[in-house]
Amino acid sequence: MSKSEQLLRIFKDVLETPDIDASVSQENCEAWDSIHHLNLIVAIEGAFNISLEPEEMEQMRDFTTALKIVEGK
Amino acid sequence: MTHVFRNSTAELLFGNAGYSFSGYDEIVYSGNADSFIWFYTVPFHADTQSVATEISSYAERLKFVHSQIPATSLLIVFTLYRLFDFKAESMDFSVESSIDCFNSFVLEFAKTNSNVRVVDFSDFCSRYAMADLIDWKFYFLSQAAINPKLSIAFRKWFELKKSSFSKPAKKCLVLDLDNTLWGGILGEDRPEHLKIGGDYPGKAFLLFQQQILELQKRGIILAVCSKNNEADVWEFIDNSRDQVLKKEHIAAWRINWNDKAGNIAELAKELNIGLDSMVFLDDQPTERELVKSMLPEVTVPDFPTAPYLLPVFFKNLQGQYFNIYQASAEDLRKTEQYKQNAERRQLQQQFTNIDDFIKSLQIETTIRLNDPVDLPRIAQMSQKTNQFNLTGKRYTDLELKEIIERNGKVFSLSVKDKFGDSGLTGAAVVSLTGDDAHIENFFLSCRILGRKIENTFVEQILLGLKEEFVENVTAAYNKTPKNQLVENFYESMGFSVINRDELKKSYVYCLKKDNV
Repeated sequence: MSKSEQLLRIFKDVLETPDIDASVSQENCEAWDSIHHLNLIVAIEGAFNISLEPEEMEQMRDFTTALKIVEGK
Repeated sequence: MTHVFRNSTAELLFGNAGYSFSGYDEIVYSGNADSFIWFYTVPFHADTQSVATEISSYAERLKFVHSQIPATSLLIVFTLYRLFDFKAESMDFSVESSIDCFNSFVLEFAKTNSNVRVVDFSDFCSRYAMADLIDWKFYFLSQAAINPKLSIAFRKWFELKKSSFSKPAKKCLVLDLDNTLWGGILGEDRPEHLKIGGDYPGKAFLLFQQQILELQKRGIILAVCSKNNEADVWEFIDNSRDQVLKKEHIAAWRINWNDKAGNIAELAKELNIGLDSMVFLDDQPTERELVKSMLPEVTVPDFPTAPYLLPVFFKNLQGQYFNIYQASAEDLRKTEQYKQNAERRQLQQQFTNIDDFIKSLQIETTIRLNDPVDLPRIAQMSQKTNQFNLTGKRYTDLELKEIIERNGKVFSLSVKDKFGDSGLTGAAVVSLTGDDAHIENFFLSCRILGRKIENTFVEQILLGLKEEFVENVTAAYNKTPKNQLVENFYESMGFSVINRDELKKSYVYCLKKDNV
């Protein structure tokens, strides 16, 4: 599974919305509230065994940015 | 829905499913949650004096929270735990003292308020190093005091803690002897060479026996199942200076050369308990396999391969199967009662006629109605009683309280005979509507069966209801995997069947034209 696919699966699981795709963002996804945002970070850090900086956590407002951050680690 | 009163982010720990959360430090509540949690964490602040002052206000806040919620709703209170040490001088214990003070208050508070349960948060936190317990990143970004990565472990731990409030615990620990309770083999080594007390490994077995004895003191039944010569075993145990577990602590035993599965099945019968309420400990994997495959209902944990692993092994065993929130006076006398029963069975053999036998026991029964002191024990019995349980319905003490508040009747039965006091051993929960009464459930401890006490109890209940001007008493039998014993109980008491199918029967008893 590519990083992109793996990341999308995490998003679907954590946000509990199976029908989202790579265009998902805090703007267009109602489930993505502040608590789910933190749950996403916990899941991403665990799955990729990385640690996100607070600044990165703030920037991560859509899937594309999240993928960029994960791939840059 | 469970409402959480909190002063830091708790959503990540508890999850959102089934929970609602107060604002930080918010203590006013007007929703309709059915249970509540107090989850306060020690504030992160470098000024220890102000933290101590803050903490010393929690007791009042907790009292206020408690005063707002219904007296029948459960309130689970987490104790405080010092998550991070901010002190600037070593001799500054102001925060620690205020934490101790709050925690003692909580224990007292739970003793005087029956809907309050305490959860020792240090039991969870102390498993982690400070660096793992707090992830400061999440604290600064979202006020999460506990690292959200621990949420899965936390939920698992919390479920186990909650299960100790109500779940039917295992009742009996069945113990092997050689290399389980002491090191060495009695039949092969000389008794003085067995390892119990003294240096390692005897020291480890000694501590293990002490841990087991503490469970016994709280009502867990101990049984022994060992391949040995019985006389040798008792001789060794009686004469050993270091042996902690003595004959008086063991309610029943099978010390012989028969197979252990057969022996354990017999023990279950003798003690009158289900196989699924037994946990079997044996160092021999082959014995464990045999019992597992022949008696799948018996819980058979793997046994540690080295004696120094026993303390943690025991702690996990206790947490999983023998989680006791608070032992009752009845629990403390369990082994004695089970032993008295064995004596009664022996006496029974001397009489050819059951009625003569019953007469010789000099049974005295006491029946109480709606006595608040009995409710916790009745709730506990309803959770644990499986065979003599007419509908299988289980109660918490809060639910019983509610039933009484709605004009219901909760009857309890205490039994005494010449061998001793069996204590509270039966109960009936009855709801009233107009002139009609419905027996919601009727259950008895199997310890007192075979003495026709159940008949007397039903007669007394009917009499009690008649005095309340009840005209018709309805009752039900719901089939459960274990209550076949009482399938025809109400028929035998003169109730008429009004409806039946494979799984349940309903009955009526007309008090009007009856003269009980």
